[in-house]
Amino acid sequence: MKNNIRVERAIKDMTQADLAEAVSVSRQTINTIESNKYVPSTVLALKIAKVFNKPLEEIFMLEDGD
Amino acid sequence: MKPKFLFPYWTRYLGWGLVILHVPLSILGREHGMTNIIDSQSQPHEQGIFAGEHLFFICTTLLMSAGLFLVAFAKEKIEDEQISHIRLDSLRWAIFINYLVLIISLVFIEDVPHMLELNLWVPLIFFIIRFRWVIWRLNQPLKREA
Repeated sequence: MKNNIRVERAIKDMTQADLAEAVSVSRQTINTIESNKYVPSTVLALKIAKVFNKPLEEIFMLEDGD
Repeated sequence: MKPKFLFPYWTRYLGWGLVILHVPLSILGREHGMTNIIDSQSQPHEQGIFAGEHLFFICTTLLMSAGLFLVAFAKEKIEDEQISHIRLDSLRWAIFINYLVLIISLVFIEDVPHMLELNLWVPLIFFIIRFRWVIWRLNQPLKREA
């Protein structure tokens, strides 16, 4: 699963630390999600989408292998 | 997600304290002629809960085990879902390694009392090393960015 959190963050002018604080996780977790090393739970994915005020599908997308 | 069955963050330091405390106690005990209960099974020794040998066993083996247990199962500063995931994965690896060591030692080693001691520590030590190593590795890109 890929995501465009990095782009959304840039639009909202947020740092990884800001987003991490908004969804109550560590900065390290946001970093690994952005670099596609960690797939977040549904709860965390929904929380991130809520921060950006966008539907989940616009932030997280399935890849061919998924 | 609220993590269950984990000790507060500060117990990690208490755990390291117990592990470190175990070293001088163990040296002091050995200097006074105490041997670990496991080492002394072939020799005649005092019996009972308050016997010197047993107290020495508590002071060393249990102190070390309790310390490692607290270090392994203390919460992180920010205990999020990724940490829980790493914790579970490291625990699985620790059980794999423990059983591998157990099976190998069952086949090749006849020293059963020391195998017990080995089994007391291998899962916890391996778990701590693997867990901390994964977290350290994940922190490297953040340190490079900073």
